[in-house]
Amino acid sequence: MSLEYFITYKAENTYEEWVHEAYWQFLVVPEENDSQQFIGVDFNNSINARHEFSINGYGFKTIRVHPKDRFKEITFEANFKLIKKKINPFDFKPEVDRVKSYAKIQELDFKVDFDAHLKTTVFTSVPNEKKGLFEFDKDKSIFDNLLALNQFTYKHIQFDAHATDVHTTLKEVLEIRKGVCQDFTHLFCALARANGIPARYVSGYLHQGNGYFGDSQMHAWAEAYVPYVGWIGFDPTNDILADTNHIKVAHGKDYVDCSPLKGIVYTAGKNKTVHSVQVNGQNQQ
Amino acid sequence: MENLKNQIFSSYKRNPVLYDEIYDKKGQVKEVYSKLFNLYGEHSISDFVNLNEKAKASFFNQGITFQVYDKKKTKEKIFPFDLFPRIIPPEEWAIIESGAIQRSRALNLFLWDIYHDKKIIRQKVVPMELISSSTNYLDQMTNIDPPGGIYNHISGTDVIKHNDGQYYVLEDNIRCPSGVSYVICNRTALKRALFGVFNHYKTYSVTNYAENLLDLLETVKPNGVDAPNVVVITPGMYNSAFYEHSYLAKTMGVELVEGRDLFVENDFVYMKTIQGPQKVDIIYRRIDDAFIDPLEFRPDSTLGVPGLFAAYKKGNVTLANAPGTGVADDKAIYTYMPEIIRYYLNEEPILNNVHTYHCSRPKELKYVLEHIRELVIKPVDEAGGYGISIGNRLSSKEVERVKAEVQSNPRKYVAQPILSLSVHPTYIDKNESFEQRHVDLRTFTVLGKDKEFVLKGGLTRVALKKGNLIVNSSQGGGSKDTWVLKPQ
Amino acid sequence: MLARVANNLFWMGRYIERSEHIARYLRVNYFSSLDAPNQLSQSRQFVLRSMLTMVGSPIDDESVLLNEEEVLYKIGLDPNYPSSIINNVRNSRENANSARDLISTELYESINKFFHFISNYDAQVYTKNGLHDFTLNVTEMSSILRGKVRSTLMHDEIYAIIMMGGNIERATQIIRIINAKFIDAQKAQGSYGDKFKNSFEWTTLLKCTESYDMMRRFYKKTPNSITTLEFLILNPDCPRSIMNSLNQVYKHIKILDHGKRPDKDSTAFLVGKVRADYEFKSIAEIENDIQSIINKTLDRLYEISQKMEKEFFSY
Repeated sequence: MSLEYFITYKAENTYEEWVHEAYWQFLVVPEENDSQQFIGVDFNNSINARHEFSINGYGFKTIRVHPKDRFKEITFEANFKLIKKKINPFDFKPEVDRVKSYAKIQELDFKVDFDAHLKTTVFTSVPNEKKGLFEFDKDKSIFDNLLALNQFTYKHIQFDAHATDVHTTLKEVLEIRKGVCQDFTHLFCALARANGIPARYVSGYLHQGNGYFGDSQMHAWAEAYVPYVGWIGFDPTNDILADTNHIKVAHGKDYVDCSPLKGIVYTAGKNKTVHSVQVNGQNQQ
Repeated sequence: MENLKNQIFSSYKRNPVLYDEIYDKKGQVKEVYSKLFNLYGEHSISDFVNLNEKAKASFFNQGITFQVYDKKKTKEKIFPFDLFPRIIPPEEWAIIESGAIQRSRALNLFLWDIYHDKKIIRQKVVPMELISSSTNYLDQMTNIDPPGGIYNHISGTDVIKHNDGQYYVLEDNIRCPSGVSYVICNRTALKRALFGVFNHYKTYSVTNYAENLLDLLETVKPNGVDAPNVVVITPGMYNSAFYEHSYLAKTMGVELVEGRDLFVENDFVYMKTIQGPQKVDIIYRRIDDAFIDPLEFRPDSTLGVPGLFAAYKKGNVTLANAPGTGVADDKAIYTYMPEIIRYYLNEEPILNNVHTYHCSRPKELKYVLEHIRELVIKPVDEAGGYGISIGNRLSSKEVERVKAEVQSNPRKYVAQPILSLSVHPTYIDKNESFEQRHVDLRTFTVLGKDKEFVLKGGLTRVALKKGNLIVNSSQGGGSKDTWVLKPQ
Repeated sequence: MLARVANNLFWMGRYIERSEHIARYLRVNYFSSLDAPNQLSQSRQFVLRSMLTMVGSPIDDESVLLNEEEVLYKIGLDPNYPSSIINNVRNSRENANSARDLISTELYESINKFFHFISNYDAQVYTKNGLHDFTLNVTEMSSILRGKVRSTLMHDEIYAIIMMGGNIERATQIIRIINAKFIDAQKAQGSYGDKFKNSFEWTTLLKCTESYDMMRRFYKKTPNSITTLEFLILNPDCPRSIMNSLNQVYKHIKILDHGKRPDKDSTAFLVGKVRADYEFKSIAEIENDIQSIINKTLDRLYEISQKMEKEFFSY
């Protein structure tokens, strides 16, 4: 059984003054992987500027736009269609031997292999005094510890759409203990890494039920690497494991690697950007 | 101190503790310098002053200058230069040249390794933290095969001569090493002023740098390109090295572009010309990694080209040096150079490395804190001589400040024994006389696919302040023409 | 050639030419006024106004009393006045800087020396008694630059762009000088016959454009409005004439335009059209309405410049 998804991503940009030159790069195209079969993409913009597909430095598909004429307003719309296999997130072979798993993460080869997702970044650095915020219980499996971490993160931060923005560091989040999916994910990644577990930031879409229109945004969750098992998706904002409703776009060390829209715009005056996302799914036989 | 007889050296004071490039320990002019010494001796100091002024005026008129700002207006200054050349005899040069090539090749293999299998780390030759904590390591470069397998096409290796008469490497500059244009300008100026002296020495030419650079860059063209279009990219005319960028473009006969002259379409790079877009295949970039592509790196960069990295990743354009190369000119990596050379080349290092204490290691940190007066403390990731503290020049207050700084961020610092750089007679404007000044030597090595080139010459940089050991031009250093002699 | 750099070279050519014309205008007007035949032409206020009109900052209010040193400083060395000679030379050097890899070392060195000469010139000396020396040096150094352009650069696209800039600017400056002197001639009329036609200002105009000797050889008569304008606008052999400049522009645009027959939207087509218009114009047409010819010529030159920018320099 699988689900067929129709996803719409929209971004509306308005500028006070004429924009003479601009480049945008969208990182919004769902990834093709074991559980996600990509069917189609339709991309357009309100001023009919040319767009092209490319691959970014981390290997994810991007859409780039570089208008040749000046403008004050531009709207982008991307429509994706894909098939997502029904996943039961608990359906994997659990860790055979706890001791072996903990030994594995101490190996140099392991550390070298997963270096990129073990190191601390600006957005995933926990202040020194909070380094021990969540410590693994070595009597439990790594997976069970990660489940506990998922719940810990969920309880440690209160969801608040207005408390933080894309520039908020973990230090501030830990002070106010409020935030959005990015902040939950950054905290989860930071604490998993602090315990020697590779963790990566994932950006994507969350299907919250059909007919959910309007101000929905892109979602973020984490993937952690469990030795002898593989990468497993954790959604600390909702205290669940990533499942059929999580449609992945990209992963990276933190938000910076995954930001859905990067723009280099040459203009004076202020500007405004409004994003919206809509995800519809239907069962397929 | 002793005074020596020779008109223009009459007031030269030789400190016998220092290694003088032209006088031996007994105070005799060395064989290799004797002809030059006599030739210059025919001039009076006022002749020399006259010639030196003319040479400087020629630099000024050619616009080989940098700008300084004072209260009223910006002024243009030339890089300090004097007409007494430094001579490197063939047997010494052979060591420098082969040593520089050895280091460049080893660094290139190291870069390939740390962006692919990381064997050197897995085999515990260098510690993993060196890379995982380096801000210059670019994850995006993982598993990218640069054209021709070359990362550090252009390297600038800085060597000094210690008072044991041996050459030591101070650092390897493999981001955007600059200075090569001054090597050529210094030579031109000296030829104009004192052409006669060249008749008495067989000196290698330095004007072949650009043609060799172009030749080697063309060996690393992207796949499927026949006649590659090479460009030099500069941050613009207000950059302090702009003269060099324009010089290199001009002598290679290629376009000098700025980021805004290029654009990327379908992952190919084009430049905007009066006849429309023209594809670009090889970019010699004089812009740092962080600024080359605002979509991939620093989003506030206006110097770069949006989409450039994607084009590079696809193999459609060559960047020289490759992105991420800077990780290997981290001063912490420098300290492992002997191991790196042995590991990849199975050879002994030809040039000496200065012993280095890693403040990140508790035992060595302890030593550094206890012996700070005898050491030079350097930040690992700064170029241009910034942030360097020389232990025996610090006030006790400064010592405490440096200690505190090192302790709070040990990973950021390394320490080395204070080397005694050799000294060379240098004409000092202010005193209208020749005086001993410390010098180093920047060499320029170019790596291509199965080909390499070292400029036979280099930039002898002079610390103009008496007793000063820091020679960088950003710190008020001057330079000298440097003669590499042909074997007899 | 890069579009941006081409634009810079075009403007380098224009700025060099512009500084020369301004300097010459200052010198000729100032010194010919000293012994001019009528009182108005001799008046210092009259001359200073004429200078300001020429550089595009006319003072219409007759009651304003101008200070000689201030006016000379403003036009010559004032870094805060965009049209001053020093700023023109500075701009030409900035433009040369950005194209340093394309132009010859000799040309660059001359521009650089020119700039240093101007920026080191003592403003006190200049406004008190250095006007002749200063302006003469500016015109001579500009001539040297023209020589370097011609003899140290390949006569290819780079050369063509610089020459187009120089010639469009020359035509523009000549027509501006004609305009300024036309206004002067209406005020300072001659003493016999048609007083406007025989104004002393026509001689000054020819001297301002370094065409007096050429013109005397050609017409062998005292210049009047008709012969002067005919010579400066229509004579193709006078190197300072509008016609000659247009011919030069046309010759060089063809080096850039590779099409055998220019597209009707191209700069080459426009230049050809404008050139033909002047080639087949008679002095009678000009004489009837001098002011409108002046305005139209300025408009056409501006149009050509704009079209070039769009076709070659913008991207």
